[in-house]
Amino acid sequence: MSLETVSQSVPPIDGIFRALADPTRRRVVERLNRSPASVSELAGPFGMALPSFVEHLKVLEGCGLVQSHKAGRVRTYSLSPEPLQLAENWLAEQRALWERRLDQFDTYVMSLKESEK
Amino acid sequence: MSYPFKPNPKLDLTLERFLDAPRELLWRAWTTPEHVKQWFTPKPWIITDCEIDLRPGGLFRTRMQSPDGKQVSDRHCCYLEIVPNERLVWTDALLPGYRPSGEPFITAIIALTPEGNGTRYTATAIHRDEATRNNHEEMGFFDGWGTVADQLTDYVKTI
Repeated sequence: MSLETVSQSVPPIDGIFRALADPTRRRVVERLNRSPASVSELAGPFGMALPSFVEHLKVLEGCGLVQSHKAGRVRTYSLSPEPLQLAENWLAEQRALWERRLDQFDTYVMSLKESEK
Repeated sequence: MSYPFKPNPKLDLTLERFLDAPRELLWRAWTTPEHVKQWFTPKPWIITDCEIDLRPGGLFRTRMQSPDGKQVSDRHCCYLEIVPNERLVWTDALLPGYRPSGEPFITAIIALTPEGNGTRYTATAIHRDEATRNNHEEMGFFDGWGTVADQLTDYVKTI
């Protein structure tokens, strides 16, 4: 969304959908749905350079979908239930509808403004 | 009706955003069928038809079409309050001419306030109650988001 700078705050549900728009991150969420796992366990199936993979984990953690804790040298990730509950919540769904509507409205009126210059 | 509206946090929602456009333009985008068709429905659903009779008791109708083109539904709403460039209020609780509708769900208040070179945009959705939600056509957009993460993620793939 190029108009992000216009919006005063990015609502959490936007970050969740953005995080889940990536197939690697979706698979991580699916894996964590079964049980918590360490970084190496999670990275295993992907054949991706570890720093790139860690970036994906950071995105997931940044939007609150997953959480991590470190024990010794091992960092373990687990799923946070709240954001998914947010998406399951009826009012949150209504909010998501209105937010997407507003995003589209915002984008559209900007193009309208440009075209009328 | 007195403003600002005081929402019930369990039922209502308010979205507020600064939009970098004059409110006259935002007003036109909300009240002209050709414009409304371009943005009103979250993609990949689309609006194929829109009818607007901009006066209290007038019709606000949108026809939505699902991404596969199979589901088409008309939604008839009624304008309650029209203050040009300032406030637009409509509801699906009434049909045009203030005739009560069968499945009331929402009243929406769109408020536009000038701010600098742009507009402070506030959209308020006032809902009846959660029990009516399953009747609501727009829920179709979100059926896939609801129950589990898998459904949610599948939907996002289509965006």
